[in-house]
Amino acid sequence: MQTHAIDIQALKRDQAQSPGQASPAETSLRMENLNLFYNTTQALFDINLEIPRQRVTAFIGPSGCGKSSLLRCINRMNDLVDGCRVDGRLLLENEDVYDRRVDVAALRRRVGMVFQKPNPFPKSIYENVAYGLRIQGINKKRILDEVVEKSLRAAALWEEVKDRLHESALGMSGGQQQRLVIARTIAVEPEVLLLDEPASALDPISTLKIEELIYELKSRYTIVIVTHNMQQAARVSDMTAFMYMGKLIEYDDTDTLFTNPEQKQTEDYITGRYG
Amino acid sequence: MKMINEQDLHSERAPRVNAWVRSGEPLIWLNAAAVSVSVIAVVGLLLLLAVRGLSHFWPADVLAVTVSYQDQSRELLGEVVEEVEVAGVQLREAGIELQGPGPYYKRTLLKQGNRDFLGTDFTWLINEQFGERRLPPDVMVVERLEWGNFYGYLRGVSRFNAPEVTVAADGAAATWQALQGLIADTVAVREEIRHIEQVDIGAINYELERLRLRERRLELEGGLDATAAADLASLRAEQEARFRVLQEQLYVLYDSIKDHSYSAELADGRVVRLPIAKVVRAYQPNTMGVFAKLGMYSERLWEFLTAEPREANTEGGIFPAMFGTVLMVILMSIIVTPFGVVAAVYLREYASQGFITRTIRVAVNNLAGVPSIVYGVFGLGFFVYFVGGELDQVFFPAALPRPTFGTPGLMWASLTLALLTLPVVIVATEEGLARIPKTLREGSLALGATRAETLWRVVLPMASPAMMTGLILAVARAAGEVAPLMLVGVVKLAPTLPLDGNYPYLHLDQKFMHLGFHIYDVGFQSPNVEAARPLVYATALLLVLIIALLNLAAVSLRNRLRERYKSLEH
Amino acid sequence: MLQQDSYKQHISAQFNAELESVKNHLLEMGGLVEQQIGKAVDALLNRDSGLAEEVIAGDEQVNDFEISVDEECFRILARRQPAASDLRLVLAISKVTTDLERIGDEASKIARQAVKASEEAASSSGSFTEIRHISNHVGEMLRHALDAFARLDVDMAVETVIADRSVDSEYATAMRSLVTFMMEDPRTIGPVLGQMWALRSLERVGDHACNIAESVIYLVRGLDVRHVEPDELINQVEDK
Repeated sequence: MQTHAIDIQALKRDQAQSPGQASPAETSLRMENLNLFYNTTQALFDINLEIPRQRVTAFIGPSGCGKSSLLRCINRMNDLVDGCRVDGRLLLENEDVYDRRVDVAALRRRVGMVFQKPNPFPKSIYENVAYGLRIQGINKKRILDEVVEKSLRAAALWEEVKDRLHESALGMSGGQQQRLVIARTIAVEPEVLLLDEPASALDPISTLKIEELIYELKSRYTIVIVTHNMQQAARVSDMTAFMYMGKLIEYDDTDTLFTNPEQKQTEDYITGRYG
Repeated sequence: MKMINEQDLHSERAPRVNAWVRSGEPLIWLNAAAVSVSVIAVVGLLLLLAVRGLSHFWPADVLAVTVSYQDQSRELLGEVVEEVEVAGVQLREAGIELQGPGPYYKRTLLKQGNRDFLGTDFTWLINEQFGERRLPPDVMVVERLEWGNFYGYLRGVSRFNAPEVTVAADGAAATWQALQGLIADTVAVREEIRHIEQVDIGAINYELERLRLRERRLELEGGLDATAAADLASLRAEQEARFRVLQEQLYVLYDSIKDHSYSAELADGRVVRLPIAKVVRAYQPNTMGVFAKLGMYSERLWEFLTAEPREANTEGGIFPAMFGTVLMVILMSIIVTPFGVVAAVYLREYASQGFITRTIRVAVNNLAGVPSIVYGVFGLGFFVYFVGGELDQVFFPAALPRPTFGTPGLMWASLTLALLTLPVVIVATEEGLARIPKTLREGSLALGATRAETLWRVVLPMASPAMMTGLILAVARAAGEVAPLMLVGVVKLAPTLPLDGNYPYLHLDQKFMHLGFHIYDVGFQSPNVEAARPLVYATALLLVLIIALLNLAAVSLRNRLRERYKSLEH
Repeated sequence: MLQQDSYKQHISAQFNAELESVKNHLLEMGGLVEQQIGKAVDALLNRDSGLAEEVIAGDEQVNDFEISVDEECFRILARRQPAASDLRLVLAISKVTTDLERIGDEASKIARQAVKASEEAASSSGSFTEIRHISNHVGEMLRHALDAFARLDVDMAVETVIADRSVDSEYATAMRSLVTFMMEDPRTIGPVLGQMWALRSLERVGDHACNIAESVIYLVRGLDVRHVEPDELINQVEDK
């Protein structure tokens, strides 16, 4: 597997994008020969990948291809799994995430994650958003109010919930819950947002709202999204990585990958052929 | 063609029973039957307890009857407790001559009271020996502190040994009034006496005991010099002075009631004179209307719930037992909940799920099946003798050789029951923890929370309904447990409540009374089984109600929590 | 890289059938258009007005074909959201139908010239040599382009694109000679102008055939080779 030179991709994408968004696409996350093992089973094989800053990068691939595992490597969610081992390097802004000195909690504040199923805490909307701050010991009402409003606005949820901030988050619709979870995640000001099939449990309209939100958020965050829905990957992402059987098969900008993929496996997968 | 079709249909018809079985209907019937039996059993139990227990407090009419047997006749007064049919053979074998023809005879259990004059307060009578049954309006029932009820006719009342006010033909009502007035006075004075004895003198005794312990402690530490001794002596003198004052008061009070008396005629015509100081209440049931009886009924029920027992627990109330039960259950809950939750959290959240954890889990589950008396033995051996003994050595050497915690008591009983119910709480909490969606924990961790923060802020609140479930089961089990308690702290009569106004208010070292044990004691250890039987039922009913109440409280709390933390099903 | 039978490998058999159907319709349309061009040129060369009328009438059928193939393409786009090679296939088919329809239009233009020519008296027949020559050439291009599409043959498509260059130069030569012809004999201006129109139509057919070939390259390789010089084109195709 060759390492994909990022500057060429960036050049191509900058051409494709509207001039207003032409910020330089630098590398936020870099994976070098990343291998992941669950006990003796190897789940990821020599992943080499550079994820550009303030872009949306999608991981696609069939079930069990390792895309979620790869995503969970980034914020070390895999640490929670017994017998999980990682070798190789995973650099976030040139710092190795798997360095022994890294404080995992601090890392996870920098790399926020949104899960497949909306998982608001059984608390009020307000407390859900304030959760991350309270964990950090921030309890001043003025600051919390400000952050809650800002985050909910950023998640395009403020107008819908501003009158019922102190009601239970569990009374919201699935789509609202997922946006609440996104608001909760961005409340702690992460650098990277990991979205693990964020819309797979939602109806099409909610899905579109989430996608729109992703589009808006990418000007501030580096977003990595895992999705089963190829159309969704095509719609929201700038870069797409196709994975198969724990290997990175192809990584390219989304336009290219979805119109003219290089690898036959990719082609077969995205066109729905027998692989 | 048609013929053939019909034949086909007939040949395919399965035997009817088979079809019925296949339809599943027998199973439905079986299920319904099982449910019905359960419901009937529960309702029947409660009804039996309620009818047998609650009817005891009803002021029943007093029957006056002449019983003639073998040319002898005697007058009897009393309440009919029950009527049963017995076989004549059985009676004849007992040497009783029978007049009637039938193989079966009715027999009546009469509560005739007057144990001090008649020897027994219950007597079996054969109905055919009855003469005329009468309900004389002026018959009087007197509830007394000693000797049980008195049944008779009021003949006179004497105030301060003054000449008796006797019942004139037209003065019956006035005499009755005088009696009631004196009883009311006496009851008030007795209440005052009780207060002085239990609260004031109790406090002084407590203080004296503390002084004694202080002296002993100083003695042991070698710090008992002249000044300290003088100090203690003066304190003691102060208390003793207060005690003498109270004692004076008591003498006066006792004197003020001891000379009232009433005279009454028994059914057999004897006239006796009895002290009013020993009277609880007197009433004439045969003249009372339904509402008066209802009033009396609630008064007696209230007494049952709030008063202390007397006459070897066969009379009076059961308040100390009720109080002890509830207090013990509450203490047990306070001990077992945090302990069980912490253990469950460790097993589920922190321990690696290997062989050892599995073994521990199996062990915990099996612990729930250990007979409770075993826990009692363990509690006695470990808590009382070992831990309690050590505690006494270290903290209460002054009181030795009298044990403080080295003897059965409230704390050890609560601890033993906590141990007994621990598996239930652990298992229920573990279940609750296991049911919390993984995504919620991950959500919290992904926000930069540590595992402990996640546990504290997300997992535990969500598992609280499960903890409550565990607690409910624990309470249900602990409140009804008797056997281990007999070994670790329950007594048939505790002189004081374990919670009072003397520092430190809650006396964990004291022995206490318990409804379950009370039932056992009243029902099977009582000198007067007939008198105690209704109380057994009433106490049992109360125990069931208390357990139900504790459970309902916990259930409603759980439901509130559940509503708040309902899981994230869409 | 797209292979010959790759559109038969979808997990959805229905999708396979739809793609095959639209492709077959397109090729059918291609056959029809080829026929139209052939007939129109024959009609012109032989001054056969009957045949020419037939061609003009046949254009209706070509238009119908275009509409139905386009509809099929839209349906696939809307319902299947094809990606990668499938997407390119549908887009290419859509473009190729447009080209084919235009070729059909050119055929009927030539047929109209044939009708006009048959009305005018037989003038010098020698001037048809250019038309015959170019029509042969263009007909071959069209056939090659359609064959390349049917077989997903990039080499043939590249040849076709390059062949368009020679058609262009032949066209220029023919135009020059016809202009000379008119200057020499002003009476021939009318008929020769008709021939020039026909030639122009044939040249356009060649351009459309070239477009079709470019679509084939896009379809097979994902390369956009429009407005690319022949040398560069060959380089790009070989690079891939």
